[in-house]
Amino acid sequence: MNDTKELKDEQIVEIVRTSDKELYREIITRYQDKLLRYALYLIRDKEKAADAVQESFIKAFINLNAFNLKMKFSSWIYRIVHNQAINIINKNKKELPLLDNVDFDSGKNTEFDLSKKEIKERVDKCINQIPMMYSEPLSLYYLEEKSYEEISDILRLPVSTVGTRINRAKSIMKKICQTIK
Amino acid sequence: MSNHKINIAKNVMSKIKTEQIKMKPKWYFWLGSLSIFVAFVGLTIVSIFLTSLITFFLKSHGPMGAVRYQQIISSFPWWVLVVIIIGLISGIFLLKKYDFSYKKNFLFIILVFISAVLLAGILIDMLGFDSLWMKRGPMRRFYQQYNKNMQLLDNGLRNNGRGRKSFQ
Repeated sequence: MNDTKELKDEQIVEIVRTSDKELYREIITRYQDKLLRYALYLIRDKEKAADAVQESFIKAFINLNAFNLKMKFSSWIYRIVHNQAINIINKNKKELPLLDNVDFDSGKNTEFDLSKKEIKERVDKCINQIPMMYSEPLSLYYLEEKSYEEISDILRLPVSTVGTRINRAKSIMKKICQTIK
Repeated sequence: MSNHKINIAKNVMSKIKTEQIKMKPKWYFWLGSLSIFVAFVGLTIVSIFLTSLITFFLKSHGPMGAVRYQQIISSFPWWVLVVIIIGLISGIFLLKKYDFSYKKNFLFIILVFISAVLLAGILIDMLGFDSLWMKRGPMRRFYQQYNKNMQLLDNGLRNNGRGRKSFQ
């Protein structure tokens, strides 16, 4: 079991594909919290977010042979969750409430530089007030700690657009957060 | 979140174990990619051919351009153009639906495709392949029909001209 912990996602995927389907549990364990948090930012409803993540894991398993092992598995699975969440949002456009106080623990103890830490705190507080086209790259960058390249893969946007949207989101956040405080 | 954690892993794994969900085989994706590739190649060939056809029409123009233009419009195989448009739209739809994993710049793909088709069409025209096709290629009948129509039109115009002279 310890051996599987040391394996890369892509290596596990290859084993699941060829010999041991049970190992897919390891993939679920690695990603479910992160994906739930991400889906919750998008959908803003715990149950629906959990449904979206479960459905995404099922879709990912069914289409696992379509995954290119040279690519990053994390970008692939985030993309599937993104699609799933967008479908749910479109279906329930009027129903979804705004979350007030949901704790989004990053699950990591990595030390950030002060400004990034500050921004992260602000993102936690204000993200629900920002339009989704800006809040999504922002949450992926500051809360999910994805690189511009990964965000570009997940959202299918050019890297430059990702940068522009994150910068714009920061300035929108500045205004909104000040009024919230 | 921990409740979701237990449920998601349990639900998904039980569906896998009981074979309620099955992994699609590799050949399914190969077949999908292959059919899209074949459709795209076919589309490219037809589009290149159409481009060269248009340049062929334009080149074979002489006097009476407006009348000849009407002739092109009426004898042009518009259904092929419709097939191309439908093919492009369904190709993009399939790519988006089937390959949800990697980003693709569809605008870029379409622009490259159109540029490649135009360039290839012009090259075919410059290298004289269209004349060759007129003699033996798969669209020989169409080229020849067009030429026949043009000759009939020329003869008609000439006769009209003579008629007018004799009338005067």
